Amino acid sequence: MTDRTMLDKDQVREIFVAYQSAPDEETKLLHRERLVEQFIGLVEFLARRFRNRGEPIEDLIQVGTIGLLKAIDRFDLEREVEFSTYATPTIVGELKRHFRDKGWAVRVPRRLQELHLELTKFVSHLGQELGRSPTVAEIAEAANFTEEQVLEGLEIAQAYNFASLDAPITSDDGGTTSFADQLGGEDEQLENLEYRASLAPEMEKLPERERTILYLRFFKGMTQSEIADRLGISQMHVSRLLNRTLMHLREALEDET
Amino acid sequence: MDTIKLNIPASPAYLQVVRLIAAGLATRLRFTLDEIEDLKIAVDELSAYLTGAQGRDGTLEIRFVVHDNKLEISGAGKFAPGQKVRTDLTELSRMILHTVVDSASLQQADGAPVFELVKSKA
Repeated sequence: MTDRTMLDKDQVREIFVAYQSAPDEETKLLHRERLVEQFIGLVEFLARRFRNRGEPIEDLIQVGTIGLLKAIDRFDLEREVEFSTYATPTIVGELKRHFRDKGWAVRVPRRLQELHLELTKFVSHLGQELGRSPTVAEIAEAANFTEEQVLEGLEIAQAYNFASLDAPITSDDGGTTSFADQLGGEDEQLENLEYRASLAPEMEKLPERERTILYLRFFKGMTQSEIADRLGISQMHVSRLLNRTLMHLREALEDET
Repeated sequence: MDTIKLNIPASPAYLQVVRLIAAGLATRLRFTLDEIEDLKIAVDELSAYLTGAQGRDGTLEIRFVVHDNKLEISGAGKFAPGQKVRTDLTELSRMILHTVVDSASLQQADGAPVFELVKSKA
């Protein structure tokens, strides 16, 4: 990340004035660039709030930046609000739209998309509350859905556009860290698995994150919820990644015979 | 003990229906979400051997048996003659199945590939 000097309200206002009264396009873009630099932190902050929904954080920041540009473009200095207050709903709106329209690998009716996003929330919340994986009945009750709706929502999770596996993940304190960092010693063990090669040469080719989840689930016997906690992602995301990995492995199996 | 039977074309595209029924029945037994996910993985893993990645000419006969505390699922491939289906589970498949269900098997029975699995509630 580039070095950012935080400007105060008046300085920001000055750039806005310069931006809006720029004599030519080039100068205008230059000022806009400065404004983006100034508020990219806000975009990152807001993007991180959507990080557990299966999209790479870099993509979310890009989407959020589009929102920021729109806000910069439309900001009226006559208004009595600070720019960050003005820009927040625009950026969030852009992020939400991204999930609604582009976040799905397969076209899924909006009703189901929303159902799915709702469910992800309730599943992790309930899991923490109960200290175990919730039942469908419990989720249905908490979310005020029917059991059938919950089942439907869980099944369509597989249609969701998966996160890039090598993407850095974001921890709760806002710092970014790679999967390898979080796993520490576990990863070394993973490298030393004697039986790995004999089990499936295909496993070698998997991205680190997929291999890790596979390893934790099937070699260490951790549940999906436990893996989710460990890696700081949602259980439903673990489910998606796991299912996709297994699908790959099955296809590889097919090629062999 | 209740039994549900389902015939689907032997194509991966229809496995979703099997998963949904399995999940629905598991829900009746108050399985947790983790257990349901495990069950679906097992269904997918075993069914993949029967359908192959591209699907086959024929049908899968799936049978769900609901017990008080466990679910038993079996599937038989009824294919046009001459289709070779492997029934030896890979080491990885064994490992996966061992982790997610109580028991699982795949074998030839009366000339048809058949899988069976049992998953009980913790």
